[in-house]
Amino acid sequence: MNGEARNGGVLRLCALCCAMVLGAVLAACGGGGGAEEEFPSKQIEIIVPWDPGGGTDQTARQLASVAEETCGTNIIVSNQTGSTGAVGFQAAANAEPDGHTIGLATVEISMINHLGVAEVTPEDVRGVMQYNFDPAAISVGADTDYRSIDDLISAAESGQNIRVGTSGTGSIWHVAFAGMAQKAGVAENMTNVPFDGAAPAIQAVLGGQIEATSASGAEVRPQVESGDLRPLAVMADERLDILPDTPTLKEEGIDWTTGAWRGLVVPNDTPDDRVETLNRCFKEAYDSEQFRQFMEQNGFGMQYKPADEFEAFMDEEYERFGRIIESLDIRQQ
Amino acid sequence: MIFVGLAVGLVVGALPGLTATMAVAVLLPFTFALEPVPGMMLLVGVYGGALYAGSIPAILINTPGTPSAAATLIDGHPMARRGEAGQALSISVVASAVGGMLGAVMLALFAPRLADFALSFGPAEYFMLAVFALTIIASLSEGMLVKGLISGFLGLGIATIGVDPIQAYPRFSFGNPQLGAGIEFIAVLIGLFGVAEALTQFERLRGGASMGTTLGSFRLDLGRLRRLLPTTLGSTLLGFFVGVLPGTGGDIGSFVAYNEARRFARGEKKFGRGDPRGVAAAESANNASTAGALVPMLTLGIPGDSVSAILIGAITVHGLRPGPQLFTGSPDLVYGIFIGFFLAYAILLVLGLAGIRLWAQMMRVPTRFLWPTVLVLSVVGSYALRTSAFDVFVMLLAGVLGYFMLKGGYPLAPLVIGIIVGPIAETGFRRAMIISGGSYEWLLQPIPLVLLALTVASLALSLLRSRRSGGDV
Repeated sequence: MNGEARNGGVLRLCALCCAMVLGAVLAACGGGGGAEEEFPSKQIEIIVPWDPGGGTDQTARQLASVAEETCGTNIIVSNQTGSTGAVGFQAAANAEPDGHTIGLATVEISMINHLGVAEVTPEDVRGVMQYNFDPAAISVGADTDYRSIDDLISAAESGQNIRVGTSGTGSIWHVAFAGMAQKAGVAENMTNVPFDGAAPAIQAVLGGQIEATSASGAEVRPQVESGDLRPLAVMADERLDILPDTPTLKEEGIDWTTGAWRGLVVPNDTPDDRVETLNRCFKEAYDSEQFRQFMEQNGFGMQYKPADEFEAFMDEEYERFGRIIESLDIRQQ
Repeated sequence: MIFVGLAVGLVVGALPGLTATMAVAVLLPFTFALEPVPGMMLLVGVYGGALYAGSIPAILINTPGTPSAAATLIDGHPMARRGEAGQALSISVVASAVGGMLGAVMLALFAPRLADFALSFGPAEYFMLAVFALTIIASLSEGMLVKGLISGFLGLGIATIGVDPIQAYPRFSFGNPQLGAGIEFIAVLIGLFGVAEALTQFERLRGGASMGTTLGSFRLDLGRLRRLLPTTLGSTLLGFFVGVLPGTGGDIGSFVAYNEARRFARGEKKFGRGDPRGVAAAESANNASTAGALVPMLTLGIPGDSVSAILIGAITVHGLRPGPQLFTGSPDLVYGIFIGFFLAYAILLVLGLAGIRLWAQMMRVPTRFLWPTVLVLSVVGSYALRTSAFDVFVMLLAGVLGYFMLKGGYPLAPLVIGIIVGPIAETGFRRAMIISGGSYEWLLQPIPLVLLALTVASLALSLLRSRRSGGDV
């Protein structure tokens, strides 16, 4: 009896201990919950998977400098580059899911798994918001006879080989025109000529070595304005502000939109309320005059999607690129 | 502004591993606060200063401070070893300044007309230009052709490591992502020259022998200057035109100019053994090529090299766009750049001549202190490239390779040429084949045909000379 009582006592003591520990945990959680209003409680880090000075890095730093005020904390940008962005995406996916580490997701996160470059996919992260979309533009030399995208497609249909310069095999600009060619049924007669970036591809069009180039509107803008390049179509839902006279592919009867996009993501287990807070203060930064001006001046297209829409969009893109990349047969190994 | 830029450039250029591209990229944000013209002057000053300063360590310690100075050391370092470091440094300053100033004049006079020349170079032309550049290997290794070729092929092989530039397939990466990202060329350069030289010096030190510490006279007499003039002018012209072609810069320009200077020079035997003309050719060409690189940037909005790619950013941030409309829209900026470029090199001449005595003190440092310092700088420099320990490893490996190549009498320059030119040749050839749909007809187009003829002539001449001099072919 006595032993039992003692046992019971021990059990009770255990229960008490458990309760206390539980209480402490709850208190801690409560404390965390209480501090929710204070989130972010420390410095926020944005992981940029591309080199400093590039387009993605520039937009991220610009957004971060405004968001320091709207989010009320220090924001640092760190560049973790390599493997077509995979290093940075993976780092963002593996970070502490407390909202203090944000990843910068670019269109490549929906592509590289299909390309066989890395394992990471949009499934590994959670969307916070999209802030940019730069649709692909197809351009030809101004002294050629191709006056519309129709002219170019008809030439391909009649058996002529249309050589399209891009910034590399498996790049978004390659996939963009290849998808268009598939939609138009001329995939056989449009050849990708990969260069080391948009500039040499544009040079080859100007020099008459190839017929067309697929690049972002901002990348061809200088040569379009000087009258050397003629943009035939942009792959967006609406015309671009920087190329107002260029029709969309949809206007020309080809239902195909694609291009490069950029957005913010967090690790999968980040709590809803923190995602909301981040979305709110970064949206405020997105709306600021400073950010808007920067984007306009540098020709970056502004497009906003809230957290859930961006999440769904990344998944759709992942599906879509999977189909195109498979049909292009450019997967490594 | 130019002065500040030059000072920064001199330091950066003289330190192996820090490149002009890095310095310009780091300073870029500061120019946002400045007016466009002073901002550009600052960056142009850095660019010019760094390119010149790369020759200082090339001459004194046989380690190029920037890739463009790799051709300078072929004759620059033997001169220093012979006790003529002062002469070599003086020639390098003067040739750099002449190359840069004449380049700026040519830029101002011909920029719009040269746009077409740059555009006429498509993949086929780049391929044949690269093949022509590869013949330099043959002429650089006269008398030891087999060893030169082995060295050259080694360079070509190293350049293939990483993601293939056309199909994006990893080559020789063995599943290692760092190998997949490719070998950093500058790390190889630092190891090949800096570390290998340090190892050789240590060995020499243990053997008791030491390098001559006399610097010789810094003063260039008029007769020597006059003898160097034809080489300098010719090389300036060549360097400028190579620079105009987007994607080819001072590194290729200086090797091509060096080779031509040697081909046309009387007493070409002295080249490679400390001929002042070699230093003058390489330095005037690589500085002239920077002016050339601005041609496609200003006229077409297409960067001629990595530095001018960053300069485009410096222009666009002010709401200006590079391209033909820049000449009509904001002539003050365009002419500001021309004048700034010219002034930068004029000031460089003064600053450089005043400074050479200072740089030369490096030679006074006893060998047992100097070379450990070089080793430390090599490690720091190669780490700074991409903040990657892998690059340090590559650099050390290249150092060991360089050491054994030196011991075995294998020339190092062909390896460097292989690494620089290999990717241009490969991508050019493969793009030309894609564009032509698999036929070789592009070989018969005018420019490739001319380059092909030059290539054959250049090879034939090298073989003939080797045979005549009785060297083993």
